[in-house]
Amino acid sequence: MASVYREYWRINILTTLEYRENFVIWLLFTIVYHGSALAALWIVLTRFPEMNGWNFKQMAFLYALWMLAHALHNTFFSAVGDVPDHIREGEFDRVLVRPLDALFQAIATPGQVFPDELILAVLTFVAACIYSGVHIDLMFVVFVPLIAIGGALIDLALNLAISTAAFWVVRVDALRWIVVQLEQEFTRYPLSIYSRGVRVVLTFVCPFAFMNYFPATYFLGKSETALSLPPAVGLLTPVVGVVCVALAYAFWRFGLNRYQGVGH
Amino acid sequence: MIIAARPRFRWAPYRALAARAMAREATYRFDVFTSIGSVLVRLYLLKMVWTALYAHNTTPAELPLHAVITYSAVALLMGLVMDIDQTRALHDRLHDGTIVTDFLKPINVALSFFADGTGEVIFHAILIVPSLVLALLVVHIDVPPPMTLAAFAVSFVLGYLVGFWINFILNCTAFWTLEISAVQLIVTWLTDLLGGEIIPLVLFPVVLQKIVFVLPFAAMFSTPLLIYVGIISPSGWAAAIGVQAVWAAVLAFAASLMWRAGTRRIVSQGG
Repeated sequence: MASVYREYWRINILTTLEYRENFVIWLLFTIVYHGSALAALWIVLTRFPEMNGWNFKQMAFLYALWMLAHALHNTFFSAVGDVPDHIREGEFDRVLVRPLDALFQAIATPGQVFPDELILAVLTFVAACIYSGVHIDLMFVVFVPLIAIGGALIDLALNLAISTAAFWVVRVDALRWIVVQLEQEFTRYPLSIYSRGVRVVLTFVCPFAFMNYFPATYFLGKSETALSLPPAVGLLTPVVGVVCVALAYAFWRFGLNRYQGVGH
Repeated sequence: MIIAARPRFRWAPYRALAARAMAREATYRFDVFTSIGSVLVRLYLLKMVWTALYAHNTTPAELPLHAVITYSAVALLMGLVMDIDQTRALHDRLHDGTIVTDFLKPINVALSFFADGTGEVIFHAILIVPSLVLALLVVHIDVPPPMTLAAFAVSFVLGYLVGFWINFILNCTAFWTLEISAVQLIVTWLTDLLGGEIIPLVLFPVVLQKIVFVLPFAAMFSTPLLIYVGIISPSGWAAAIGVQAVWAAVLAFAASLMWRAGTRRIVSQGG
């Protein structure tokens, strides 16, 4: 399995080198995407110095923490999101007859993946740490990678659960669209600005708040005002990530066992 | 020698093209659902964001909370029409080469793309109605006096034309280079931000305001919206709308130059 995975990355990197112009354009695209999101936050917070007790420096840290986890997911697991397309096209059946785990195959479907977003995310995160003046100690250095991995696993779990739904309903785009919107737009702001129902959804149903809000609250030494939880819940992200993936994986196995093809 | 008479101009083919575009848009029910759903989700988000920002800071005198929420809500509804890339078909047909057959048809090709785009826009304009009804469940939207609404409508149409020509120019670049999808997305995000769709330009830092107000993007969203919420007062309407008209004319001229240069290129390449 390890050798197959190495081969998968070799193909990815060769593909990227083959289409260099494309790569540069999409890198620019990624930079402008995150740049304009941060610019919008900066513009608003120059006029209004704080948002529920958060200033721009702290919100830049909040954004960078999410970006780190999200980029980690996009680099290693984004191919899981293509499973519904493969099911619809009837290509997924091929995966089932190969002597390798189906989920592993779904993750290691070569595309044009290159760790550019991850590199950009690490640079942004380092800049945000310096800029926000967050207290950096051993605890921080040990936990940030774990939280980024945990956050990426939360992302993966949601991605996998939605893709699994495609075993029953062929079109899952609407569901995916709602979850993507919740993740990309709602994680930019502190959880405490939302109404109670949305806070609960973002904590317990689609736990995106564990990707950045809870850990950032802890590291920045703020008190948690959204659900009045102790700040240390921010360190639970890796556990939440593992639990989510375990649940999503169980759902995936269940779906896989019931799957009978789409009738091609 | 008899010169063949130029065929009389007929509207019917263009009406048919517009009707076909409307029918095509209506078949994508999922897109209809997401565009209305997207407006509602973002409306909720904007309401929460502005409420939180206004709660703990000094309120800008010219733009109280209800006005900024009205601004955002109207901007989102305008976006249903403004964010459409009406001349996408031009780019696609250049990409796959089928544009060559368009030039063989007894129609004006530029006008046929315009008709197709118009049909698409009319369909999405109809979507504003259910979106508005649902939006009113989420937020309160201020309604200005009738004269202001009329000025807003004129300004909205001009803003739409400015957006239309910017898109047309971008799609025309496909005559020269085919890889423009990512560039177009980048331009879209920048116009959303610099045009005042996401954040009112009057809330930008003063230095940035000096720049963004002289760019054509401000003529797309900012001008009609500032008329709507009353920041541009009746005495300023004529000047503001005049600037939009100038931008629309300048961009239309630039677009026609590009179209002519582009079509010549197709002929010179031999298809």
